[in-house]
Amino acid sequence: MLWLLFGAHLVGIAAAVLAGRRSMQAGLCAAALAPAATAIWAATRLVEGGDVVSAELVWVDGLDVAISFRADAVALLMTLLVSGVGALVMGYACGYFSSDAKGGSRFGATMLGFSASMLGLVWADSIWTLFIFWEMTSVTSFLLVGHKHTDAAVRLAARRALVITATGGLVLLAGLILLAQNTGSPNLTKLAPISGTEAAVAAALVLIGAATKSAQVPFHVWLPGAMAAPTPVSAYLHSAAMVKAGILLIAVVGPAFGDVAAWKWLGICFGFASVIWGGVGALRHRDAKLILAWGTVSQLGLMFTLFSAGAPKAIFAGVALLFSHALFKAALFLVVGEVDVRTGTRDITQLGGLARSMPLAFVVALLAGASMVGLPPLLGFTAKEAAIEAVLKLSGGTQAVVGVAIIGGSVLTVAYTIRLLYGIFGPGPATSVAPQGYVRRRSWLMAAPAVTLSLAGVVGYAVIGGVNEIVVPAATELNAKAGVYELIAWPGVKTAFVISVLIVITGAVVGVLWIARGSNRIPLSLGADATDGIVDGVISKSPRLIAWIQHGSLPVYLAVMGTVAVLAAAALASDFAGGHLIWWDHPLQAMLAAAVVIAALAAAFVGSRLGAALALGSVGFGVTGLFLVHGAPDLALTQLLVETVVVVGFVLGLGHLARRFPPVTGSWRSVRIMVAAAGGLAVTAALVAAGTNPTGQPPTPDLVAEAVAEGGGKNVVNVILTDLRALDTLGEVVVLATVAIGILALARVRTRPQAQTQES
Amino acid sequence: MSAALLFAVGGLTSVGIYLITARSLSQIILGFSLLGHATVLGLLVAGGAAGDAPIAGTAAVADMSNPLPQALALTAIVISFGLTVFLLALAVRQQHLTGDDQVEDDLEDQRIAQGQPAENLPEETTEEITQSIEGGIP
Repeated sequence: MLWLLFGAHLVGIAAAVLAGRRSMQAGLCAAALAPAATAIWAATRLVEGGDVVSAELVWVDGLDVAISFRADAVALLMTLLVSGVGALVMGYACGYFSSDAKGGSRFGATMLGFSASMLGLVWADSIWTLFIFWEMTSVTSFLLVGHKHTDAAVRLAARRALVITATGGLVLLAGLILLAQNTGSPNLTKLAPISGTEAAVAAALVLIGAATKSAQVPFHVWLPGAMAAPTPVSAYLHSAAMVKAGILLIAVVGPAFGDVAAWKWLGICFGFASVIWGGVGALRHRDAKLILAWGTVSQLGLMFTLFSAGAPKAIFAGVALLFSHALFKAALFLVVGEVDVRTGTRDITQLGGLARSMPLAFVVALLAGASMVGLPPLLGFTAKEAAIEAVLKLSGGTQAVVGVAIIGGSVLTVAYTIRLLYGIFGPGPATSVAPQGYVRRRSWLMAAPAVTLSLAGVVGYAVIGGVNEIVVPAATELNAKAGVYELIAWPGVKTAFVISVLIVITGAVVGVLWIARGSNRIPLSLGADATDGIVDGVISKSPRLIAWIQHGSLPVYLAVMGTVAVLAAAALASDFAGGHLIWWDHPLQAMLAAAVVIAALAAAFVGSRLGAALALGSVGFGVTGLFLVHGAPDLALTQLLVETVVVVGFVLGLGHLARRFPPVTGSWRSVRIMVAAAGGLAVTAALVAAGTNPTGQPPTPDLVAEAVAEGGGKNVVNVILTDLRALDTLGEVVVLATVAIGILALARVRTRPQAQTQES
Repeated sequence: MSAALLFAVGGLTSVGIYLITARSLSQIILGFSLLGHATVLGLLVAGGAAGDAPIAGTAAVADMSNPLPQALALTAIVISFGLTVFLLALAVRQQHLTGDDQVEDDLEDQRIAQGQPAENLPEETTEEITQSIEGGIP
């Protein structure tokens, strides 16, 4: 089934490319079908239950390298979000883009490509599968952020997102490799708890990878920048889907790091910093989309904190928050996008009074905003209650830190939500750019998805049992003890509820005071400029590095490669074992070896080309002698023929070349001699290491018996070549034929320049 | 394992590496040829001690040299022969075109090394763009 769904996405990509040529709308409609089908499939699986669906494609058997998928309860929950929100957002985008918008093929196909990558990430059952799809989401996100690529600011934002998430991906890979090595299995469901120094290092690396993807402070700077993307992209990738990947990762691998203190505390640090700094950022900005983006940083930090804390109730609350956040944040993005399209601005200091001119959008925003704040009767309320109760269940320092994060973050959330809604829909300023007549006609394509998502919050609260059927199994999958908890529609006046009420009151006061303060200045970039500066620096300095490495001199390249090979062979120096080394097999062998080396030296150092050719011939004939002494008459015969042809060829070719080699002097010659000497030593060392550690006996008896019985020949070497390895020999013949054709072609072309000279 | 053969392999490899790092294509060909010899001898020396020719019926099986590396070596000899002859044809061809057989530095690499300015740099500075993104507001 999983393959089928992937197939549907691939077909959808092709369809989106074709349909997108007609118009943006056609491309998006074609793209929306596959996610819609996937969402329906996930929903039916969640309702019906049944066995976990899995699929596997073994690539390298025995090395545990396989593409494997597993759609368990967590994966199904994420599938519902990824595909459900995906389908809605693609429908929304049909209304968002004007009918003459260009790039429909590109946008539709990339959106669907992202959707498929995200499904692969969510379903991944092995560390390697997870990593591949993780990187694919980074790349598709880069393409989507950079959709309006003619704008320099958009390109810069896309580059920043790619640099940060891709670097994080590499860090994650290192962490995953360490994790797989220590648990002994790349299988995500079979991760055994690990401990020790390597576990701590792996924990830090995985957390950094997750933090870059989920935009945690200090790696969050790419997410506000990514708001340069079209709003459907922001609603989908940067609130509901991709940014949840880091959260999902720490939730899934969390059990393996349960005993590692660094995991818990580093994770809580990331989360804590993001909750507070994200909330402050949302208050600082006046672009509605940026407020939502900073709010996402804050909310993701909340989930990061809860999953890092690791207690069963915290994990349960994290899952509930993950689910409700995707619904209300996507709805808010869709409303902001609609406001942007219909009024032409997203600046909350210029907007105002839209409650009357856009009543439907106002209701949607109010419902989604109230869910984000955590008011009943909405799904966000139950999730926030669960989070506060989780804090009450914790103890000691963890309780204090996580408590401050959740309460502080929630207060800030209330404040910036009030400011956002007031700014857009509240009484408009005198200079409002959105008087009643200005707003563009409403498109039901834009309204319907936003209404669906915000109503989901209400319906979810009304049938809280249904939501529990989705959330509880997922939490149980992550932590067996988390299954005893469930979301409660109305908990009654308990400690958590009182805290909740206090949060809303404090937040409202902060929000109203902040609105009254009425700061209109554009906030400083704080961190983003440093990130771009570093990337710029790397880009501007890299030509110098490339000029230094890639200078274009073939001899130097070869010398460098030789040196590296020598260093690689140095490890073999310790593998020498005595006992197998003799001076020579036959005295003649020693004499021939000496003669061969002397002739080779002569070929190198004699000044004339003819002398070098003759020296090469001497080497060849010496080697022929060595073959004879070794007991290899076939080799000797072949070498004799080959050497004769080569020497004749050389002497013929020399007629066209200058008689003497150009003289070589200077320090480069010394370097060459040193590299050459080291290379010779390294090869000898490798051979001694191999030869003095034999792993068995030569297979001579078997080969002789087989040659006579199967091949029907007595010359074993010949039988091997013409019978046992006949295909290789055929390949060899093909190579020689190709060489002959090549030489012929080169020789024929020779006449052309002369012919041209004659004509001219 | 015969030290004499090892010496031949090491010596041929050294001289071969020295020659392939030369500027003149005909010297590089000499180097490749020597490296080919070194490889073939290396295969033989790694495959076991010398012995009688591996031809059934002419010697006791126990006294024969290992035929497997010989079969591999035979392929190696032929392929390195093909390579040598082809390179030789290239050298002659280059001689006709340029008047010598020197391997010049790669032109494209030289262009990069001289630091040609990157194209399509935005006119705004990065800081300005960063500020405009951070400030939001289309």
